[in-house]
Amino acid sequence: MKPQHYIKVTHLLNGIKDPVLIIEPTEGIVEKANKAAIDKLGLSVTGKTLDVPFREEFMLPTNNGAEETCIDFIPSSISIAQKEYVLAIGKTTASEQHLRMQLRNLEQERALQEMKTSFISMTSHEFRTPLTAIAAAVDLLETRIRMDRMMNPFYKQNIAKISDEIFNLNTMLDEILTLSKIVSNNYEVKKTPVNVSQVVDYLKFQYFSERKDERKLEVKVVGEPRKISVDKDQLSKILTNLISNAFKYSTHENPQLKLHYHARKLVIAVVDHGIGIPEKDIPHLFNSFYRGSNVDGIDGTGLGLAIVKTFTEMNGGEIKVTSEKGKGTKFSLTFRYA
Amino acid sequence: MNRTILLIEDKPALTDTLKCLLELHEFNVLTASNGEEGVANARRHHPHLVISDIFMPVINGYELLEIFKTDNELRNIPVLMLTAKTGIEEINLAMKKGAAGYVTKPFLFRNLHATILKLIL
Repeated sequence: MKPQHYIKVTHLLNGIKDPVLIIEPTEGIVEKANKAAIDKLGLSVTGKTLDVPFREEFMLPTNNGAEETCIDFIPSSISIAQKEYVLAIGKTTASEQHLRMQLRNLEQERALQEMKTSFISMTSHEFRTPLTAIAAAVDLLETRIRMDRMMNPFYKQNIAKISDEIFNLNTMLDEILTLSKIVSNNYEVKKTPVNVSQVVDYLKFQYFSERKDERKLEVKVVGEPRKISVDKDQLSKILTNLISNAFKYSTHENPQLKLHYHARKLVIAVVDHGIGIPEKDIPHLFNSFYRGSNVDGIDGTGLGLAIVKTFTEMNGGEIKVTSEKGKGTKFSLTFRYA
Repeated sequence: MNRTILLIEDKPALTDTLKCLLELHEFNVLTASNGEEGVANARRHHPHLVISDIFMPVINGYELLEIFKTDNELRNIPVLMLTAKTGIEEINLAMKKGAAGYVTKPFLFRNLHATILKLIL
């Protein structure tokens, strides 16, 4: 390299913050190092013959202080005064110590996340003990008042209110627990062949058999039933949510659940004839804590549908909603057979 | 004749209330605060039905079911599980181990009552 080139290149290189080397490619000699490279590698780097294959990405150890660090160099060809050189731009890789520290921070963060999830899991479980005792005490009061022939509309209304709120709180606990598990990626999808009709029968019996208003879930099956490959627990959470909503947001007619077994897929539809969802709310419907603008006075956390959508997608399904305000709502889930 | 129910539950606040409720509905009620005491009471009194919690000290609900199912004296007594766990897995496990039924906590007494009547009438 001629002196005028040398000076020009030096100026150019010193303007770069990362370490840069100019390597003469035939011998592998470092012709020029910028200030950042000299700071890291020492003055002796200039004129040094590299014993590493410098045509591809290579590493050089630094020699400043006790801390062992390496610099990663990425080479490219450069032509200076019609002569080919290798221009290598470096990036300091973090020291082992530094990496170890980062790893430790990550581990701490994960442990904290796990603690949070298990804390929420534990509290929601613990909260159920007093809730159960309160619910039983309310039942006892009601029974006793009835037996003493002291029941009147005032007692009845307020006792019902306590009881309803206990179960709302319980649902909220379930939803918060589920969501916290989803957020911390603590949900495994354990897919097994599942008979959906059987799950529906179970849910019907478990949650929807003893209603105060005598309404029932109407179940309709079309086509030849086949098993689908999903996580059974998650499917039942999805269905429980949609069915509860169908009851909650309608008053007179029975909600319907249709299982339509097509040639390649199962479509599960949950239909109600309730208040419907205003069009402007539909795009936001599956966001956490979002609730429709027409739910006035109907309890809910806004978490249910966020959970439904997450679980449906985790299990390879699709969810669609069609609704008309004042007419009713239909949620359709599609699962392809495995 | 009044039917006898053995209630195995480790939370006194719930035991007392539930005992009262069952008595108001004309059942005789015996109580035990853990699985071990429960098994002993069942052997002594031969109740018509056992209502048991799952998560409790000494012997839990699953172990209790195993003991009942391998004991000639106890195997015909229906055991109804009261469980705070709503996961299908826990319930399936209890049913697999021979539970006659289950009710999840918190419950409405009329649901529990309906389940009891299904099992012992």
